[in-house]
Amino acid sequence: MNLQVIGCSHHQSSVATREQLAFTQQQIKPFLNNYYSKFPNSEVVLLSTCNRTEFYTVANKPNSVPGKSELIEFIAEQRGIAATDINSEIFIHQDRQAVEHLFSVASSLDSMVVGEAQILSQVKQAYKLAVETNQTAALIHRVFQSAIRVARRISNETEIHTNRVSVPSVAIGVLAKQIFERLDNKKILILGAGEMAEETLRYAIHEGGKDFTIINRSIENAKQLAAKFDGRVGDWAELEKELAAADLVISATGATKAVVNSDQFDRVEEMRKQKPIFILDLAVPRDFEQSISDRLNVYLYTLDDLQKECERNRQSRQSHYPKAQKIIDHEADQFFNEIQRRSSGSTIAQLKRQADNAKQLELDRLMNRLEGVSEKQKSEIEQSFNRLVNKILHPPLKSLQTESPQVSGGLLEALKKLFQLGD
Amino acid sequence: MNWLQNISITCFAASYAVVFFLEISRVFFDVSFRKYVRVGFAAAGLFAHTVFLILQGKLVLGSTGLWLGSWFGWCLATAWILALAYIWISARQPKSVIGLFLIPLILGLIGLGVGFGHENQFSPMRAKSIWNMVHGSALLLGTAIVALGFVFGVVYVVQSRRLKHKSPQSRHFRLPSLEWLQKSSEYSLIISTFLLAIGLVSGIAINWTNPADDTLSSGRIIAWSNPVIWSSGILFSWLLIVSVFNFCYQPSRQGRKVAYLVIASFLFLVLELAIVWWVGHATSDSNSDVAQRLEIQSVSEESHSVVGRLKI
Repeated sequence: MNLQVIGCSHHQSSVATREQLAFTQQQIKPFLNNYYSKFPNSEVVLLSTCNRTEFYTVANKPNSVPGKSELIEFIAEQRGIAATDINSEIFIHQDRQAVEHLFSVASSLDSMVVGEAQILSQVKQAYKLAVETNQTAALIHRVFQSAIRVARRISNETEIHTNRVSVPSVAIGVLAKQIFERLDNKKILILGAGEMAEETLRYAIHEGGKDFTIINRSIENAKQLAAKFDGRVGDWAELEKELAAADLVISATGATKAVVNSDQFDRVEEMRKQKPIFILDLAVPRDFEQSISDRLNVYLYTLDDLQKECERNRQSRQSHYPKAQKIIDHEADQFFNEIQRRSSGSTIAQLKRQADNAKQLELDRLMNRLEGVSEKQKSEIEQSFNRLVNKILHPPLKSLQTESPQVSGGLLEALKKLFQLGD
Repeated sequence: MNWLQNISITCFAASYAVVFFLEISRVFFDVSFRKYVRVGFAAAGLFAHTVFLILQGKLVLGSTGLWLGSWFGWCLATAWILALAYIWISARQPKSVIGLFLIPLILGLIGLGVGFGHENQFSPMRAKSIWNMVHGSALLLGTAIVALGFVFGVVYVVQSRRLKHKSPQSRHFRLPSLEWLQKSSEYSLIISTFLLAIGLVSGIAINWTNPADDTLSSGRIIAWSNPVIWSSGILFSWLLIVSVFNFCYQPSRQGRKVAYLVIASFLFLVLELAIVWWVGHATSDSNSDVAQRLEIQSVSEESHSVVGRLKI
């Protein structure tokens, strides 16, 4: 099997190059069809995400996959750009390196945020589109099914995916869950209508949040966000009342000083009757005065607190990297052993057949020459010939099976030439 | 089924001890199959515990009612209810290490029963009426639920303190959410108040239907001079006030306050049980003890008056 991957990713390519090479879901199938028109003897998978665009090409016969420059020319032509513009930022991996790369990508070891879960579904989607375009893609099946299995194994056997690493996911998925059993019956108040507020709100909705009110100085922005998520727009003048009713507050305004001070919160506290409140102050500078955090039943977390938690989780994920890498090495060995076993199988069968034929010819000739040989003696002679053939074939076949794929590949070729075996 | 007769306290105490060690090990490392082993040991312990209570602990459920034999049986029965609660919590909150707080209580109760429970045997006469059965069962369940509430309260304080100080949650030391703990504490407070009320009312009914000598002589249904009666009255009043306060005054049922209330209720209960145990309430020798104490008191008073007269 000849496998190679050509592409760009956040590791070595600029955002400009990644943007030029990015494909939407609708653009992938036409690209694959064009590829098959030009390179019919190989199979291809196109993986395109925010951080990478990769072309996996695979073929059984040597020299059937297009080379780097040939493929870059083709891609550039398809994207309507000059090949020279992207050439220096494109990487290429072949055979074992390509397999290890795919396993790392699917397991999110190669992701910008190690351990993120989205990449596996993106790999599956790319594989699905490739199979839909070329239904006889047997080699793609073999490679990508192995990659998906490896990703699952790493997910099960390591803790690389367990800890959340983004501020909104830590805030809602980790901290809010330690305070609230469920979010669907909680009142969520969002102060601000910017990107951070929206992202955190998205997580809150994902975790079951339903009842949310958005308050923003610019009512238009609040209305837009509320319309997007089917929420309610609150009045900034009613801020204290809204705070008194809320269970969870996500605050991410662009204000230059605190929007809720200690005196204001005294009044809020009176109305709340000491009901616990979880405040996520994601603004810089902070929206809530620090002293509010000292009140009983107030759990106030700032961006700094959350980033510390994220960093701890990131380090925890990194600590599982070596174990995941070991799994990838082991699985890559297994993968190539399996490929080798399959490709050497027919050669071994041919060799055995050839030896059996030669043995049978010699045995028949000998039996015709000998006279007065009993059935028992005939059987002894035949067994002796069989043992001889087995003893001759055993060492080369054993070497073929036990050597590393790289060495046994050479042995296989040598065997074919030495014994004049066909492909 | 002779082997059932061989089940001893060691069997279930050891099972719970293993569960406790498995709970401790959760804090240090992960093993995927441990939860099955842990719940398996807890279930095995509970089975042995049940068999022991029925066969050895003189627990009888029949026409005469529920009978626990002695303080020994009482402690083991309370531990049994808490062990059952542990399995329920393990199913509801599988990731939390609440067992670290609950199992020591179960083991402590077993130890208390073994250490001190044999001394005071309950009077068999006490089992002869439905009121006795209701009295005993309600107080037993009430005790167990107050103890459970105590665990929820303590865990709430730990979790709340951790969140307040923004200490990171270890993946190996997870506790239930504050909301769940607060609700569970609240329920335990309400249910235990209700059960202790039943216990108190049934106690009054026992005195009504079968008045003791001291109540007969005083012409009162409730012998308020008895430390057990007044301490039970105080405990019940405390729980009732807390529950009513909780119902009427919203801040008291919010967050840490409810946790502090259930912890205080448990401390009250411990005090009450200490008094009950010391006085020997419901035990066969309690009447003779009282008589003996009264005799000593009268002798002492007589000797005091003699000494007084001699001084004069």
